[in-house]
Amino acid sequence: MKLTVCIGSSCHLKGSRQVVETLQRLIAEHNLGEKVDLGGTFCLGKCQMGVCATLDGREFSLSPETTEEFFNTEILPKV
Amino acid sequence: MNDLCTDIGYRSLNHDGEQLCGDHIDIVEQDDDSIVVVLADGLGSGVKASILSTLTSKIISTMMAAGMNIEDCVSTIAATLPVCSVRGVAYSTFTILRFVQNREAEIIQYDNPHVILLRDGQNYEYPRTVTNIDGKEIYSSRITLRENDIFIAMSDGCIHAGVGMKLNFGWERKDIIHFMESFAGVGFTAKTLDTILLDECNKLYDGHPGDDTTACVVRIRRREPMNLLIGPPSNPADCSKMMSLFFSKEGKHIVCGGTTSTIAADFLHKPLVPTVDYPDPEVPPIARIEGVDLVTEGVITINKVLKYAQDYLADNESYEQWSYKKDGASQIARLLFEEATDINFYVGRAVNPAHQNPNLPINFNIKMRLVDELSTCLKQMGKRIKVSYF
Repeated sequence: MKLTVCIGSSCHLKGSRQVVETLQRLIAEHNLGEKVDLGGTFCLGKCQMGVCATLDGREFSLSPETTEEFFNTEILPKV
Repeated sequence: MNDLCTDIGYRSLNHDGEQLCGDHIDIVEQDDDSIVVVLADGLGSGVKASILSTLTSKIISTMMAAGMNIEDCVSTIAATLPVCSVRGVAYSTFTILRFVQNREAEIIQYDNPHVILLRDGQNYEYPRTVTNIDGKEIYSSRITLRENDIFIAMSDGCIHAGVGMKLNFGWERKDIIHFMESFAGVGFTAKTLDTILLDECNKLYDGHPGDDTTACVVRIRRREPMNLLIGPPSNPADCSKMMSLFFSKEGKHIVCGGTTSTIAADFLHKPLVPTVDYPDPEVPPIARIEGVDLVTEGVITINKVLKYAQDYLADNESYEQWSYKKDGASQIARLLFEEATDINFYVGRAVNPAHQNPNLPINFNIKMRLVDELSTCLKQMGKRIKVSYF
């Protein structure tokens, strides 16, 4: 599955680096590097919702605190 | 006209405990694309030395720039300088470097350590003629410039570094030549070479310079144009006009900003590939577009570049950061500060609605201010800057 996280200015200030690092760590811990393709994207035009993320085209609003929960509910059950 | 230009960097270390420097450097650009650099070292240290050297360098640079000959300059100085009450003489040494239309260098030196010329990374002992003006022995030389020539002018504080402390006879000219030869081929800017030299002097002095220590490095280099695009145009209809002007320019191309890089990618019909690597946690990741030399985020990255630029003009301490790091801001800093001589800014004045949130430290005014301040800094580095707004 394709997971992208916005790394634009606005989302950067809202913590996209922590979100990316948490996701990278969780993907490595669960050995999902082959199955989850994590990438960056520039502004998705929904800065108020930041940190913006998409999972196979579906949009999500993340924050450093909710990233692990998002991973457990949206990604883990589906791989 | 050839496509060579001069990259000049200079700095001084003050005599331990003094607030003023007794050495002075003055740079004057002439209308015919010639530059006069004067390094003067006043007798003694502190206020008196500072006045002597400032007067000397100002008088010489102004007179030389007005096309007067060296005999007139020297006799004017001898007649003008106030006589030191302790020593009974009016005295300031000087080194004059004059670069004529980036073709030829004229070096005139009086009592300072002789200018070092590194050509192809090796010391080059240029011919010197001695003339006697008013009892002063003046050495003059004329040298045809070549790309990568490095001229190093110093006050005697450099060659006296470490006398009686770490070295018996100080850091002699031949030692300095040997030391600087190892950095000549790396491609460092004049400012960086100068910082390396003075840091070494300061180390030899154990951080307490026994004399005012000044060095000026002039590097002869080829002109290198660079283009930086930031922000979408205020009128979306101008997008393709702005892009075609930007991409038609000679030199490397840097694109800053998320939306801006999306527009550039569309224009080039190439995919925009962002990365998620954070070599510097404060700077957002870079992206790639085939045909663009560097793609970065906008305001946060440029803000960091501005901080680096301000430090470069001050004490150049963050050089250790941006000189090798892989984040967007460090890469822009290397391209703009080291590689470029002529920089064209293409600034789009569209307001990003997402940034007009009072909780965010990034808004439209800040973006415009960043570009203004950055171009002011780059001008002070001796770059030719052109800013176009869309």
